[in-house]
Amino acid sequence: MSSDTELHVPEEEAHGDLRRGFHHELDDIRDDIAKLGAIVTENIPRATDILLNQDLDGAEKLIVGDDEIDVAALALEERCYSLIALQAPVASDLRKVVAAMRIIAEVERSADLTKNLCKAARRIYGHPLNPAIRGIIQKMGDQATTLFKEATESYLAGDATRAAAIDDMDSYLDDLQREFMRTIFESHEAAKSSIDLQVAVQLAVVARFFERIGDHAVNIGERTQYLVTGLVRESLGAARHASRQAAGESE
Amino acid sequence: MNAVGTVVLAVVVAVAGVAVGWRIGRHRGRDEGFPAPPSTSSTSRPLGSWPDFTQVLDSLPIGIVIVDGNGRSVHRNAWAAKFSGTHTGILLDATTEPLLQRALTGEESRQQLELYGPPRRIIAVSSSPLPGGGAMATIEDETERRRVDAVRTDFVANISHELKTPVGALAVLAETLLGETDPEVVNRVAERMVEDSHRAARTIDDLLELARIELREPVANDRVDLNGVVAEAVSRTRPIAEQRDIRVGVLDIPPGAAVAGDRRQLVSALGNLVENAVKYSEPSGEVQVRVRIDGNVAELMVADRGIGIPARDHDRIFERFYRVDRARSRDTGGTGLGLSIVRHVADNHGGEVLVSSQEGEGSTFVLRLPGGVRSHQPSSNETSRP
Repeated sequence: MSSDTELHVPEEEAHGDLRRGFHHELDDIRDDIAKLGAIVTENIPRATDILLNQDLDGAEKLIVGDDEIDVAALALEERCYSLIALQAPVASDLRKVVAAMRIIAEVERSADLTKNLCKAARRIYGHPLNPAIRGIIQKMGDQATTLFKEATESYLAGDATRAAAIDDMDSYLDDLQREFMRTIFESHEAAKSSIDLQVAVQLAVVARFFERIGDHAVNIGERTQYLVTGLVRESLGAARHASRQAAGESE
Repeated sequence: MNAVGTVVLAVVVAVAGVAVGWRIGRHRGRDEGFPAPPSTSSTSRPLGSWPDFTQVLDSLPIGIVIVDGNGRSVHRNAWAAKFSGTHTGILLDATTEPLLQRALTGEESRQQLELYGPPRRIIAVSSSPLPGGGAMATIEDETERRRVDAVRTDFVANISHELKTPVGALAVLAETLLGETDPEVVNRVAERMVEDSHRAARTIDDLLELARIELREPVANDRVDLNGVVAEAVSRTRPIAEQRDIRVGVLDIPPGAAVAGDRRQLVSALGNLVENAVKYSEPSGEVQVRVRIDGNVAELMVADRGIGIPARDHDRIFERFYRVDRARSRDTGGTGLGLSIVRHVADNHGGEVLVSSQEGEGSTFVLRLPGGVRSHQPSSNETSRP
């Protein structure tokens, strides 16, 4: 027939329920966190590009822009506190608020890490990087971006299955970090195209930043699973810890 | 904006205006108990009168978002809806919403969104108020248009660089020769002159070759034996491969593999790919050439374990004179036209050239040509004779 079947105008005025506003605010907070997550998802390839092309201008812009993310994260946290104080949420509503607060912190920290990548780009400015090192930086950047994109999108959709897959994807990023360390040592030792110690140390830190971004994405995935299923993934870690203790090994 | 774009936009505004006006009208009609406007609510609409506006909007290659006078979403066409739930969609919404709010106050506005992807995209969002109330935003992917612009401006800069550098060097060297008496210096300067004149000659040769390939349409439609093409392309690069101690290995060519096309062009294209692979390999590395027939598509593959190509350059390396690393271009001695020639040859044959590359790991180029066949009889030109 005509086109109006799929065009629904929301009719929230019809509901006089006070809790309606509460749930609306919960959804709004989730959407705004996802927006922040999307910005960080963009910042990862941006920072990778800045690092590879020694783009000092771009680095400056991203570093300054991080303050805006901090402001937004603080405001979102405040809104969560207000919800708890004014609405005293229980059960799945409480889980949503708590998960939101944890995820805000993860997103904010990841944004800081992209800022740190740009600071590292400043420190290695003027030192050309060899293709092997550039190649792995690109791969780490791509993988960290994919992880963070998955984390943001599965949180927005409340998709526990997708969120669960992030952990597996992270192991590839960990492998890349190890490979990168090996390449740094090789490049440092190689007689011809060696990189000096200062650059080598900066690059090791860069690898760590990417790896940490991946870990934050995994945490967001775990929080998403928690808010959907109510299960805490860290209980698995606790179980592993217990079995390790029993086996007598410690880290 | 170009003329076509303007026309499209005008049509969109008109269609959207009618759609939103009708929508608001209908809505009000229902709320206040008025009957809906008769022209659009009639169910027995004759075929071939008004098209379904949502279908019209959905078929557009740009995103359309329409809101009513209260800023509530009325319609989002297929292009705009396909990003929903993704991080791209979130960022698009974050850009579009404030623009629509501004349009509701009667102000037109436009903003550009740069997404780092991957793939990298540049998206333009513009919003305008609708005549019947409400507002509309259009979302356009401008990545390709921007790339074409960059190609155009870079080309002029690059061609003057490539031609002027050796010619300028020749002039300076010749001036040095004029007053020089020391035979040793004369010798050295003359050697540099020979080198630079060869460089200029190579660039001109390649430009002519490219012009020839660009012009010649349709290409010859001979049956070309791929074994022969590979052998000739590889033997052409033998001197430079030997000089750099690089092994060029040819792997499993299906017996009797052939394509319909122009032999000279195909040798030139494959030769360029092999030469690049050799040049960008580490000394004493290995280059592999392989041919596959997949259905009726012939795939000529050249793989190296060399320095690789940065991801951001992948879609630009086929441009004339484009250089990933300008500083290196003199060492490798290339003219910057090789991959353009490859792409044009692929185009002429109705095929394509693909690249996959990772810095530090190497590159693989694949020339895919339709019209590939595999037969057991030794190939010749017999089939193309009357």
